[in-house]
Amino acid sequence: MKHTLLALAVMGLAGSQAARAADSLPPNILYDAAREKKTIWPLPVRNSGELKYNEHRQDLSRWPTLSYQDKRDTKRPEKVELQGPLNGNAENGKKIAMNTQRGNCWACHVLPGDPQGGTGGPPLINVGTWGYSDAHLYQQIWDRRVANPATEMPPYGSNGVLSDQDIRDVVAYLQTLK
Amino acid sequence: MKRSTLTLALLTLPLAPALAAEAPYRDMTSYIDYGKSPKASDDAKHTNTYQYWKDNRKIDPEISNSLTDFWKVNWKYRDAPYDDTLHGGHDALERGEEVYKQLNAKGDFAACLGAKKGDLKGLRLTYPRFDKELGGIVGLEARIEHCAARQGMKLENGSYDNTAVSVYVTSFSNGMPLKIDVTREPMKSAFERGKKLFHTKAGWTNFSCATCHVSLVGKGLRGQIPTTHYGDIGHWPTWRSKDELQSLHVRFTECNRNAGVQPLKVGSPEYHDIEVFMTALSNGMPVTVPSQRD
Ligand code: HEC
Ligand code: HEC
Repeated sequence: MKHTLLALAVMGLAGSQAARAADSLPPNILYDAAREKKTIWPLPVRNSGELKYNEHRQDLSRWPTLSYQDKRDTKRPEKVELQGPLNGNAENGKKIAMNTQRGNCWACHVLPGDPQGGTGGPPLINVGTWGYSDAHLYQQIWDRRVANPATEMPPYGSNGVLSDQDIRDVVAYLQTLK
Repeated sequence: MKRSTLTLALLTLPLAPALAAEAPYRDMTSYIDYGKSPKASDDAKHTNTYQYWKDNRKIDPEISNSLTDFWKVNWKYRDAPYDDTLHGGHDALERGEEVYKQLNAKGDFAACLGAKKGDLKGLRLTYPRFDKELGGIVGLEARIEHCAARQGMKLENGSYDNTAVSVYVTSFSNGMPLKIDVTREPMKSAFERGKKLFHTKAGWTNFSCATCHVSLVGKGLRGQIPTTHYGDIGHWPTWRSKDELQSLHVRFTECNRNAGVQPLKVGSPEYHDIEVFMTALSNGMPVTVPSQRD
């Protein structure tokens, strides 16, 4: 234990330049290390000259920001291959697709049973009849930029938002929409 | 372990300057044609909704009441004189006057904000601007924070009282069209930086501001419909009917987190550059405060 700690400390010094440039958080983001979710946002308080800061529901600091001091790269488009049989749980996939904090597919797509579905992308009510393979759908959810570099659709896999199994579940769900 | 540390050290030293100079990889939403000297009416070439919101005395109720088309009036039917209902923005105006008078007892607060002989008329139109003293682009609220601190009062940028003073000062320019000049330096570069930021994708979603306000403009996002980014600035700061007096930068933090992008500090250079960009896209639209938005 002692050993690793020491080695780490040495590395920290030597690599500090590189670390600061590539990994560390930019200083001008709304971030509070003491809070569980880290990301905070400002709330004005009536007749006060000070802001109150609330915790956001999710730690957003893991991903690139608009800060000029943010040196972290956006993940480049990733081409992936679906390995083995799909083994997806459609029921679970539906929950992911219709959860605003996870897949949030309904923000842009109409899904069956959701009268409020978004209109940013094509309705997916019968995507199971479009003749797409599981592998094709898997790639679109992992990273649609491979097919369309200008897409508005989030790269769920490349950005580490949904796991391999999550995406298998969503694909299984999409294939049931007929 | 030791070996890799050494290699790292060796590798970093000569590379560091080159790395620092290189911008990180980002995806961009493609630009629309903003021209060199943008104005609100340019929206006619883009979403072509300008015709519906250019004059808030003449809003077509058939469009503002339509469930599918209401976004085309860019919420202008909420502004006075079309809508003259009382709301929290009016309380803010009163509070702003009170705090302003306290700060300006000797007249030097107004002078610090840039008012000639204490006259606040038209002062709002001179912001955002390059500020030699503060060494960067500042909006009215950043300047208010600075000038209040000189009087020994803390008015944090984005706080209720700062924003209330901003509403009060802005109200003296009511009816006057915004007209910032982004054809000359250093505002020209600030505009270009703001334009680039507005189109830069970030966050877990890999969304830019333009993802919603350009690419998905007029589309439904589960109950929310983004409107054009032209013509927005004249009614800021605004009263949000969810019970919040809001400055423009606080609005930016809200759009950021709604879109899954880590928000920045209020008053940051990035938000100031976006403010310059969006203000230029509002040139020609009159100041209308106090105002209210959903
Ligand atoms: C921000 C909006 C947005 C979100 C959120 C979104 N999509 Fe999409 N999606 C689009 C758009 C726009 C298209 C049309 C094609 C394009 O522009 O790339 C699309 C296309 C698709 C397609 C068709 C692809 C093809 O090859 O024809 C599928 C399937 C799809 N989306 C599934 C999903 C799933 C599943 C989710 C959630 C995990 C999701 N989308 C989330 C915007 C979105
Ligand atoms: C996920 C979609 C989305 C993204 C991304 C987004 N916005 Fe918004 N924004 C909205 C919606 C929806 C509204 C409310 C309707 C409207 O006024 O457009 C809004 C409102 C606004 C307003 C208030 C307009 C007014 O007239 O009151 C401003 C200013 C604004 N956005 C700026 C930005 C900026 C700057 C960014 C990038 C940092 C951004 N938005 C990113 C969806 C988005």
